[in-house]
Amino acid sequence: MSESMLSTQSGVESRRSGPVADPPQAGGAPTGRDGKSRSTKGRGTPRPAGKNRGTKGAKGGKQGSNVLAHCVLAIGGLAMISPLLYQIVMSLSTNAEVQSTPPTLWPSVVQWHNFADVFTSMNFGSQLWVTVAITVIRVIGQVLLCSMAGYAFARMQFRFKGLILAVVLSIIMVPSQLFLIPQYQIIQNLGWLNSIAGIVAPGIFSAFGLFLMRQFFMGLPDELEDAARLDGANPFQIFFRVMLPLAANGLWALVIITVLWSWNDLLWPLVVTSTANAAPLSVGLSNLQGEHANNYPILMAASLMAMAPILIMFLLMQKRVMAGIGRSGLK
Amino acid sequence: MNHNVTRRSFLSFAAAGAAVVSLAACGGNSAAGGSAAKAAYAAPAKDLSAELSYAIWDAAQKPAMQKIVTEFNKQYPNILVTIDVTPSKGSAYWTKIQTQASSNTLPDVFWMNGPHIKLYAQNNQLMPLDGLVSGKAVDTAHYPKALVDLYTVNGAFYGVPKDFDTSALFYNKALFKEAGVSEPTSSWTWDDVKSAGAKLSKFYQGKGVYGYAGDLTGGQTSYYNTMIEAGGTIISADGKKSGYDTAGSIAGLQFWRDLIESGVSPSMQQLTDTSSSDMFTSRKLAMTMDGSWTVGPAQKALGDDLGIVSLPKGPKSNQSVIHGLANVIPANAKNPAAAQAFVAFLGTQDAAKIQAETGTVIPAFNGTQDAWVKAVPSVDLTVFLDLAKDASPYPASANTAAWNELENTLLPQAFAGTKPVADVAKDLASQMNAALAKES
Amino acid sequence: MKAQILTPASKSVRAAQAAGDRRNGKSKSDGWWPWLFVVPTVAGIGVFYLWPIVQTFYYSFTKWGVFGGTKFIGLDNYVRLFADSTIPQSILNTLIYTVVVLLGIPIAVILASLIERPGLRFAALYRTLYFIPYITMPAAVGIVWRLIYNGDFGPINWFLGLFGIQGPYWTSTPGFALLAVATVGLWMSLGFNLIIISAGLREIPRELFEAAEMDGASRVRQFFSITVPLLTPSIFFVTIVTVISGFQLFDLLYVMMGKANLAMPQTQSLVYIFYNQAFLQNDKGYAAAIGILILVIIALLTAFQFRIQKRWVNYV
Repeated sequence: MSESMLSTQSGVESRRSGPVADPPQAGGAPTGRDGKSRSTKGRGTPRPAGKNRGTKGAKGGKQGSNVLAHCVLAIGGLAMISPLLYQIVMSLSTNAEVQSTPPTLWPSVVQWHNFADVFTSMNFGSQLWVTVAITVIRVIGQVLLCSMAGYAFARMQFRFKGLILAVVLSIIMVPSQLFLIPQYQIIQNLGWLNSIAGIVAPGIFSAFGLFLMRQFFMGLPDELEDAARLDGANPFQIFFRVMLPLAANGLWALVIITVLWSWNDLLWPLVVTSTANAAPLSVGLSNLQGEHANNYPILMAASLMAMAPILIMFLLMQKRVMAGIGRSGLK
Repeated sequence: MNHNVTRRSFLSFAAAGAAVVSLAACGGNSAAGGSAAKAAYAAPAKDLSAELSYAIWDAAQKPAMQKIVTEFNKQYPNILVTIDVTPSKGSAYWTKIQTQASSNTLPDVFWMNGPHIKLYAQNNQLMPLDGLVSGKAVDTAHYPKALVDLYTVNGAFYGVPKDFDTSALFYNKALFKEAGVSEPTSSWTWDDVKSAGAKLSKFYQGKGVYGYAGDLTGGQTSYYNTMIEAGGTIISADGKKSGYDTAGSIAGLQFWRDLIESGVSPSMQQLTDTSSSDMFTSRKLAMTMDGSWTVGPAQKALGDDLGIVSLPKGPKSNQSVIHGLANVIPANAKNPAAAQAFVAFLGTQDAAKIQAETGTVIPAFNGTQDAWVKAVPSVDLTVFLDLAKDASPYPASANTAAWNELENTLLPQAFAGTKPVADVAKDLASQMNAALAKES
Repeated sequence: MKAQILTPASKSVRAAQAAGDRRNGKSKSDGWWPWLFVVPTVAGIGVFYLWPIVQTFYYSFTKWGVFGGTKFIGLDNYVRLFADSTIPQSILNTLIYTVVVLLGIPIAVILASLIERPGLRFAALYRTLYFIPYITMPAAVGIVWRLIYNGDFGPINWFLGLFGIQGPYWTSTPGFALLAVATVGLWMSLGFNLIIISAGLREIPRELFEAAEMDGASRVRQFFSITVPLLTPSIFFVTIVTVISGFQLFDLLYVMMGKANLAMPQTQSLVYIFYNQAFLQNDKGYAAAIGILILVIIALLTAFQFRIQKRWVNYV
């Protein structure tokens, strides 16, 4: 599937390829904004940290083992982000410092100009704009289309429903590269090469998103829907006014997953765009790598800049992002 | 530098795009443009009014191209030429060109290179320019013969050479001095370079500095040259048969294996991690075989420590592969008269002189290369020109990319010593022949 | 398929399905309304995803000209496929890669059980640290890891050098290269696995641990007799995701390996060979046959996993 275009390493791919089920509990109030207030079975309320400490945290053994836990988690966590720390240091170093042994821990003179140089080496501004545009369009498209289709598959009856669903779901597992040539031909026939329309067209349709939303809608209660129907609302009105607001949590999960995928998507935009101005950041970065293969500081600075918006967004909304990802797993 | 088409993995993206695009070409035109161009070209009237698009891929050369257009407009004031730069070296450029080829919207004049010329010419995408020659607007004698040959496909002349590049021996004077080894000369042989390299590697042992290496992730600045110097070929003149299984070719490949085995050169693995050009500019390599486009970066990194001499002589010769760009016109040119007038002008001595002044590329027009030679006075760049005189044409066939990929897959095993060089060469030859057979 | 792909149903899912069934009983069909909802998406998926698969199937029986034009050649591509020795090697590579990345799951279980300890301070910070690699750009981190693995000046070999160990050229030495790529795969997926498993952990009723504690069960004992068994649905889910994405391994190879890499035959995946044939060697007919093989393998693997899941997945 094109959503997973080039994101075949397990981390990114897993956003897309996994089977997913996470309906909110029937009757649950899906109104929480941070995911915590969605009640889960076995635990009626979010666990306040203090409470547990009060009830069982007094034992010396537990304190001791928490020290061990902190050690393991801190060392592991440091190891996890060390590549990024390394990248930051490299982006501020000279090329000679990058290639020196022992490795440079901090540059002797901080080379801020590496970041300025990125702007002269690639069309960062226009590529950022393209990246934002394709991400926004894909998110809007998927949220609208996938929620509508997911709703119908979850809560309506029509012919061939099971068959269509089975076919759609099997597509989730297919490596994206397989779609590349035929999708390219379609976009070319439409005359959409080198355009934002061409980049986003396959990606606003998502078998994964359809499935995700179907799972959410399956878990919603009947009562509100029935009441709306009795009031004479048609299915469109029921969907947009009653059911869609109830699926806000599912929509958030879809939004997060789509943003992550769209921002990083490389192979598809690379193939359908041929001018630097029409390409997103991922492609610009890849081209930069071709032109400045040995200029490591520029490459590091450019890739930091390309990742920065998504990293900042994550840090601002991390609870929601992690709840969204967690929800895309299972409950 | 701009036409260093065979380097870096990122080229594969070009191939990706190109390949994808080519799929859609089925319905495209073909037979257009053949007959019209056969007739001798006569310069159009000076008041010819037309608009031309000129597609290039090197932004650094745009000022020179713009200047040429200005000169051209002194002759044809009503031909408006728009230069369209598609940056990022070859990758995006070829994607775009192939897209346009498949939808009959090629630019009126565009840059062509060695790996692609046969693909386009044999698939009737280009206008033969024999008319320019018979009409005396272009004289092929003004350009290196290997370049003219490169752009002559099935007897028809398709591209007017624009510039060229050859390879030579680059060395670091400081590293030689420190090790007390006498510097290379243009009369060196393979044995000289091997023994000097061994001394250097020995002297710098443990310091990560090596004597001699080439870029083995592609043939243009390494094994293509030694294969030819040993009397071998990469591909037969008709482009139908692989030359990898000839004794000379095997000897040319063995040369690099010997360098690695004796420790003169870093290992194949190391050269994959850090390219030889990179090692040379970071003073980790005393000698390297490299292309004329790296003179600028090497001079910038090494300054006066940079030395350049001719290629060491092999069993048969000291020869370099020559590659260069050409200006071409699509088969279904919208305005063939104006496009031909422009291409003819691009091939003139005046246009070549303008290019030479920029110092980035060696202009193809014989006798105009002095300006480029003078651009870096600290080294004698005439070696590149001398090497061009009897250089070997860049090896290409209709689907060059297919067997380039085979080279990249198989040859590392030979260089690393995991398989005997001769076995790999023979295996490569048979696989390459199979790929070539599929082209027809 | 539909029933299979559902993740292990918990009570809430079952309740939801029951609710759906009740509804279904009420009205047999909703007329043409559902089509208004599904046609845009289903048509888009049909055009952009289903049709390409059908086309790939057709192309696998053809030969492609360089500038297009197909010729039917029957089973030739498949005959070649079964004689191609790089195919079984690449499947083996993929298996090794997948196994290494799967090691991230026990790691994630341990880390999650540490992070989810009641009242652990900095838990949010830890989650963030572990999760960040998951949201980084593959094209970008590939470059960073190439540097980290560099045999001459990379920090890994410098570190090994402190102990007198001469590290290999990680990304260009057969054997090591696959390990190096798989480690990055593990690094990128660990955060995802951790979040999924953490979510599963929070589902486990606290009372079970409290009861076990009263019975005097040690923490280790609790981990193996409560945590792990009750986490099996989550573990199953991340296992499937890991295996499927393992078989889609491509871009890490692409970004980290470079061309003319000696280690490529012992590292490349099926998808990489597909890409190479289709886009570098312009042999799209053969590539299509490889694509069909990939489809078959993934279908078999998934069916197999769902078949065996009953043996080890516990449902609450």
